[in-house]
Amino acid sequence: MIDDHDREPLAFAELYLPEPGRHAMADSAGRFAITGLCAGTYRVRAAHLGCEPVERTVTLRADMEIDIRLEHHAQELREAEIVRNRPDEHVGQANAQVDKAAMERGSGRTLGEMIAVIPGVTALNSGPTISKPMVHGLAGNRVLVLNQGIRQEDQQWGGEHAPNLDPFSSDRITVVKGAASVQYGSDAIGGVVITEPVELPREGPLGGDVRGLGTLNGRGFGGNALLQGGVKGVSGLGWRVQGSGRSMGDSRAARYNLSNTGMHEAGASASMGYRDHRWSASVFASWYTRELGILRAAHIGNLTDLQNAIDSGEPWYIGDRTREIDAPRQAVAHLLAKAEAGYAVTERGRVVLTYGYQADDRQEYDIRRGGRSTTPALDLHLVTHTGDAVYKHWIGKRVHGKAGFSGVYQENINVPGTGIRPLIPNYRKQSGGAYVIEHFTVAEKLEIEAGARIEWTHLLVVKYDMNDVLIRPEHDFLNHAFSAGANWSVADSARARFNLSSAFRPPHVSELYSEGLHHGAAAIEIGDPTLGSERAYKAVLDLESALLHGRARALITAHAARINGFIYLRPDGYELTVRGAFPVLNYVATDAFITGLDAAFDLRIAGPLTWRLRASTVRGRDLVHDEWLFQMPSDRLENTIALAPRSKGDWKDMEIAVTSNLVLEQQRIPAGVDFTSPPPTYHLLGLSASATRALRKGELRFGLRGSNLLNAAYRDYLDRFRYYADARGIDIALWITYRFGGNN
Amino acid sequence: MEKRLTCMTWLLAGTIILASCKKPKDDDPITPPPVNEEEVINRITLHFHSSHDAEHKHFEFHDADGDGGLAPVITADTLSHDSVYNVELELYNTTVSPADNVTEEIEDEHNVHQFFFQVSGANAAVAYADTDDNGLPVGLQTVWTIGAASDGTLTVTLRHDPDKTAPGVSGGDITNAGGETDLEVSFPLMIE
Repeated sequence: MIDDHDREPLAFAELYLPEPGRHAMADSAGRFAITGLCAGTYRVRAAHLGCEPVERTVTLRADMEIDIRLEHHAQELREAEIVRNRPDEHVGQANAQVDKAAMERGSGRTLGEMIAVIPGVTALNSGPTISKPMVHGLAGNRVLVLNQGIRQEDQQWGGEHAPNLDPFSSDRITVVKGAASVQYGSDAIGGVVITEPVELPREGPLGGDVRGLGTLNGRGFGGNALLQGGVKGVSGLGWRVQGSGRSMGDSRAARYNLSNTGMHEAGASASMGYRDHRWSASVFASWYTRELGILRAAHIGNLTDLQNAIDSGEPWYIGDRTREIDAPRQAVAHLLAKAEAGYAVTERGRVVLTYGYQADDRQEYDIRRGGRSTTPALDLHLVTHTGDAVYKHWIGKRVHGKAGFSGVYQENINVPGTGIRPLIPNYRKQSGGAYVIEHFTVAEKLEIEAGARIEWTHLLVVKYDMNDVLIRPEHDFLNHAFSAGANWSVADSARARFNLSSAFRPPHVSELYSEGLHHGAAAIEIGDPTLGSERAYKAVLDLESALLHGRARALITAHAARINGFIYLRPDGYELTVRGAFPVLNYVATDAFITGLDAAFDLRIAGPLTWRLRASTVRGRDLVHDEWLFQMPSDRLENTIALAPRSKGDWKDMEIAVTSNLVLEQQRIPAGVDFTSPPPTYHLLGLSASATRALRKGELRFGLRGSNLLNAAYRDYLDRFRYYADARGIDIALWITYRFGGNN
Repeated sequence: MEKRLTCMTWLLAGTIILASCKKPKDDDPITPPPVNEEEVINRITLHFHSSHDAEHKHFEFHDADGDGGLAPVITADTLSHDSVYNVELELYNTTVSPADNVTEEIEDEHNVHQFFFQVSGANAAVAYADTDDNGLPVGLQTVWTIGAASDGTLTVTLRHDPDKTAPGVSGGDITNAGGETDLEVSFPLMIE
């Protein structure tokens, strides 16, 4: 058997005769033999990994020889210039990617929802529009988000604060599932969500894409546009501009309108970069803004209201669908500017300096008396400067790694004029760290990694205490992290990866200095200024293998983490206020132990038919109190059957898939912590379809995505609004992308 | 001589740099101005006037530091049996100085506010004596009919954005009212 295009023999290809049920496998030269067959007519099926299977009818009269040609699906690679062997950035750390095509299939979704397709990654939601990434049960301050390689600082401590960035300012999102403080610094306890910096084109014609999208639920519409190219006459210089926008009105649950859940968002980014053999330099700027409504029925006054909401099972406020966004609402804006320069000091060493500037503005508007609903109840301005200097090097033939320094300077200011005691105080935070990571290629199939980091953080808080006296407490935290990992190619088609790493997280000002009623949480939260840093130790084992002669692929990730000094809110009695009694929650530290398993299995059933399975389970335990941790994701299972018909004329890359999503009821919960029991098991049916049509210049891609096709009425345990309303009902999204030019 | 000068210059430069690094506390840009909390209601007073103004009685709930650590102080006079009282409700924010009369704000927005008076265990009936622009009750003025001597509890609830037209709501039944609770305070109700 040979390849149709290049006439190369297809080693180890499979041959199957269904009628007599005979199998054969070609040898390394693509030759096979089936003996002892009677004369007659036979159907012959041939298959090879990456090829379209072929069926032929052969009439056998005497010994005969046949040639079978199989066509590889993979596109021919264009001529590529290998500038430098790029070391695997994530050796030893379990990671998964959402590539450009998968991002496109997630059009109309938020960043949190887009990456939730990765097993082990879930989303902590507040209604249909706010989605925070959760990796292995940890979210918020325990999942670091990197925007173009810069730590995203956007008040990520807040339960209803989604990341303020446009995922389409990047081509690829990588999720590192592990404790990764050595490489990334503090907060990388659960994992890291990385919007990878784009590879700018270095030359060549203008290229880009334009996408329009619409969503049924919420009557949403939006688009993305991207333009990039090289600069004539200057080889190595490239640029890109990109923009996105989306607007939607109220979402709808299965049986009713979710009033005041509209959202408008827009983002734009521009970058320019130059690279030659010695130098590289790039600048990047992005701006993102979003306004969204908070479900009106989730706005409650006191515990009686909350209990009424839970007992009634329906939102207390259901209005007609509208695009208007009223109080309670959030308005955020985030600006990022980045400059990077690299210089190859020697043939085997390169210094890269990076500077990032971020300004994040967040205003939250509450329903207030006296015409004050247009004055924000929370108005935060956060400015962060980050600087990195790293030396990437090769030592000898087998060792490569990086060593560097990183620093962060941050100021958080409550803009005066709200007329409300600030939820988190003004503060100034400075941190500096030094780290080193080395990769050793022990043998052709074995690569190991080791690294260490030390980091110092200084925090100055300026606030009025409960007696209205101005105080200026200061804190210092000194932390370190280590990592050790190994990446072993067991066989041609199997790989094992093991990693043992530590990570740290200094406490956040909200955990140290909260003291008052947190309306959004219907509780009085009390911080503890004596809390120390969280320290996590995580072990991850990752096994990946191709099976059944390439027809199947399996990936299993097993993880276990011990987090010492794990900070969380623990109820401790009630306090009477003018609004009635509220539970008092104290920020306390415990030792937590979180384990779990992520699994992915892909099987090519026959021809264009594929079955994909994704599953994950997480168990989180509070070791000091010997009970389950609150708000851990429940077990879930996703099954997809996909059909990818072969290309026909101008049409290619066609696929239609049906997905079944089963999320089990969370039964591992701590007693006496929640206001009500977790919602029951639910099942959602989804559909996706896409096709590409080649045009004379460029290509047109069509996509369709249906979610919750059975319009199930359900609530999710990880949705903070589950006390008030059901989650989103049936939704259908449609998009069209026109891609043109080169370098895509 | 030259070396000395150079040394001194460095020392001076160093001192200037260090001195400028230490920001004087008052100029520090992150120092916040004092906060005047505008949303707080922390004093609720019910003034009971009997017919011909013969008696004045008061109920008061006062949480001096708003949502802070100090417990609220609740006082309630004893009411006379078999009487009728005209009752006026007043709301204040005493965390600011001078104290802010929140009653006026409620009056300005009376269409979206309604007070509910739930009596349990005592012989007292409450009827609304004021209306908003739609002829629906507000509750800042009420008429109380007191019966035989008894002891019980009174819970005063202020709802923001209730559905005043829902069954029973305009008669004082909170069950179908909805809206958000801005106030929920309880008093001992003693009738002699």
